[in-house]
Amino acid sequence: MGYAGSEPATADPAVALKILVAGGFGAGKTTMVGAISEIRPLHTEELLSARGAGVDDLRGVESKATTTVALDFGRITIRDGLWLYLFGTPGQDRFWFMWDELSSGALGAVVLADTRRLQDCFPAVDYFEQRALPFVVAVNCFDGARRHDPAKVRRALGLDGAAPVVMCDARERESVKEVLTTLVAHAVGGAFPAA
Amino acid sequence: MTGDDPGPLIRLYGLTGGRARPAGESFDLVAVVTTVHVPLDPVGLVPEHLAVLDLCRRPTPVADVAAHLGLPVNITRVLLADLRRDGLVAIDRPGPVAQTITEDVYREVLHGLRRL
Repeated sequence: MGYAGSEPATADPAVALKILVAGGFGAGKTTMVGAISEIRPLHTEELLSARGAGVDDLRGVESKATTTVALDFGRITIRDGLWLYLFGTPGQDRFWFMWDELSSGALGAVVLADTRRLQDCFPAVDYFEQRALPFVVAVNCFDGARRHDPAKVRRALGLDGAAPVVMCDARERESVKEVLTTLVAHAVGGAFPAA
Repeated sequence: MTGDDPGPLIRLYGLTGGRARPAGESFDLVAVVTTVHVPLDPVGLVPEHLAVLDLCRRPTPVADVAAHLGLPVNITRVLLADLRRDGLVAIDRPGPVAQTITEDVYREVLHGLRRL
């Protein structure tokens, strides 16, 4: 394999990849993003207008006034021109349309589970399964939380068997690194099975 | 989450001439923006446009531009689309995931994470 027919010898184009961090309210999404991000998580907002395109279901949006949805994210630089962005997903059901944008072209997702409220992550699991987006379930074992058996969590969530379940501490960088490594390895296995 | 004061919003849309939608082809939240030209005489550009041109001398994803400007994503997109229309920035168009993420990129990300 020589260089014949390949691109001219220019630098690779810059690429930013998205990973979503989903889970119920208080599951530790922001903590997880902050534990691994090289920058203090950045904040921006999306304006939501009652007439916004792509917003089909506005039940629950009480007024016609524009509201804002907070969007927090962190960044990991793999090398100059290759970045990993971690987006905490907006927690409320009425912001599903933003999940569509976030998950479009995403590398994969982390579903952060709180064992005291495992049912809170059902919607995220359903969402990623339906869209065939690779995901891992990371069970956040913070202080006081009983350590759970991954097999039990898998059964409780009704996982089809493909998605890895890992125990983690969302406050610990090494632990979050392990979660992301598991996700990327899972995603690459799905995308390039022969590899 | 919910801003009751309409004042800031009115000012924000003032930046875009009241427009809520970016001109031209849509682009992703992490599409990479690169400055291609900085006009000597920036007539018609607001300070936020100039801030983008300065920031994106180094290729910068849309989300970072929004955070840097301290503006909502929608407003940022309108400003970026204006600059693209005027030929001042280039915005890449990430295709479907399979086209964007090659096996080599996956491997690089995996090794990069393990090195952290």
